Amino acid sequence: MALDLSINKYADVPYEEKERLFDEAKADGRWEHVLYGCYECGICVAACPSARFYDFSPRVIAQAVAREDVDLVYTLMNDSVWDCSQCFSCDRCPRQNSPGQIITVLREVAVRNGLQTAKQALEGYGRIIYKIMSTGSQVSPDMLQPNAFPDWGKHVHEISENLEVWRKALPPETLHTIETGWKVDEKTIIELYLIWHMTGVMNMIEEIDEGLFMILVDVMEERLEEAGYDVTFD
Amino acid sequence: MANQNILIIGGGIAGIEAAKGIADLGYKAILVEKRDRLGGNPDEQQYAALTPDLRDASEALSEMMAPILDHKNVEILYNTLVTDASGSMGDFTVKCISKGKEIEVKAGAVIVATGFTHFDPGRETQKYGYYEHDDVITLTDAEKMLKAHNFVRPSNGEKPKRVCFIQCVGSRDRQIGNEYCSKVCCGISSKQAIEVRQQVPDCKVFIFYIDMRMYGYWENEIYWPAQEKYKVNYVKGMATEIVKKGDSLLVKGEDTTLRRPMEVPMDMVILAVGMEPSEGTKQMAKIFGLKQNKYHFIETTGGPLDTVSTSVPGVFAAGACTGPADLEDSVSMAGLAAMKAITAITKLQAVPA
Repeated sequence: MALDLSINKYADVPYEEKERLFDEAKADGRWEHVLYGCYECGICVAACPSARFYDFSPRVIAQAVAREDVDLVYTLMNDSVWDCSQCFSCDRCPRQNSPGQIITVLREVAVRNGLQTAKQALEGYGRIIYKIMSTGSQVSPDMLQPNAFPDWGKHVHEISENLEVWRKALPPETLHTIETGWKVDEKTIIELYLIWHMTGVMNMIEEIDEGLFMILVDVMEERLEEAGYDVTFD
Repeated sequence: MANQNILIIGGGIAGIEAAKGIADLGYKAILVEKRDRLGGNPDEQQYAALTPDLRDASEALSEMMAPILDHKNVEILYNTLVTDASGSMGDFTVKCISKGKEIEVKAGAVIVATGFTHFDPGRETQKYGYYEHDDVITLTDAEKMLKAHNFVRPSNGEKPKRVCFIQCVGSRDRQIGNEYCSKVCCGISSKQAIEVRQQVPDCKVFIFYIDMRMYGYWENEIYWPAQEKYKVNYVKGMATEIVKKGDSLLVKGEDTTLRRPMEVPMDMVILAVGMEPSEGTKQMAKIFGLKQNKYHFIETTGGPLDTVSTSVPGVFAAGACTGPADLEDSVSMAGLAAMKAITAITKLQAVPA
């Protein structure tokens, strides 16, 4: 199937709404450093690992925003932007565009505005988002369960049963952890929560997944209060 | 001994520059111009701003021609047409009709600088309808409107909201017979696109192209600013037809990089017409017996290393009479032609009679 660039797909969305979202992207402080003009040369596609496996084209992203094609930008913001793996191999652009960072901005606009497609795209990531945002670490030893990693073979049984022992065998004390990838300092966690709070990340989570938002708020407000911060997320 | 006068035919950019060079070096330049004023196409077609620096064209031209207007070594013959030539290097006799009277000019060397004419869009093989639709205009038409700061739809006098340029009209086209690239139109379209955006900020501007050809500094001086600062929309793909639809024009083509057919409404379409040899250029080739290329431009004989010598010794050519040339080319060629013309007559002088 070829990349669907149809503007009719979102014909029911008023042009003014599409324009508002595009304007929000253009108002982002990073915008002028990630988009100049597009030669439509395809060097970004040539470098893009996602483009080899999906009908995804960082060139189309760059040219759509460079041409200020409001309808096409809206279509891509609902669809194509979620096929990018954010590796930034596309940063080799001769015009110094960064399709990857253009996508970052477009994704953030999509999330901030609670687009249905953004919710769908992020649906499977609730657990990971929870783990990273609440603990500051993504992969932890206790994720090594046989049912989660059947392809690892019987070896994974042996490891999962004696996790604590295996972890203690590692010389650095900071790695003697089970529920997080490493020992996360109290001060780090508090700073992390304050960053989530101050940068508006929590507002984005609220738009995307209200249930997740509420769980995170419980965890964070309690620990912030213990640390002496009077912070409310609303 | 060779005649020490150098005859220059054509008072455009190349002719002015050649005359200035010759006169400043102490030789006599006789400049023949068919109109009653100098400046060539940029003056006659009322160019608004020069490419690539967007300098005011009248101001730049006045400044350029001022030194030769009262130069003791320059004689300018206005309203004068060359009708016949005889003799050879060192001793040409050239007949002219000057203000209705037949005159004879003697010269040791000749510089032909008779330039180009814009392609007549009535001859294009697409269906752009220049003579059919009021709002389909050419680069030269647009130039006049931009100069007057009155860029409006000819059909109703209103400011346009959507304007497109169509590149390569009359150039790079085997069916028309002009296989060459006219070299300057990409830059001029981009320059005009910037001017349209400056004068009508609400207007969306598109450029439909085969390749954008803006070499050297034109890239960063015109192309990038047009795209990045003025948000001119460059779409690779040629329009094949323009039809009238209601109050506007429908441009049909393909958006090649997005792999989709394109039918877009426009308020105005500007055809980027290319260059063809002017009538004067074809006439001078005939009168002086200069070899022409298949497009009837005057052929220069030295390949890339001598851009001004022709098939006739002592006759040099400069500017767009040799093929598509921009201002930079024309001025550079004029300087070289002046130098070679002087060399021709001084070398002859050195030979004992």
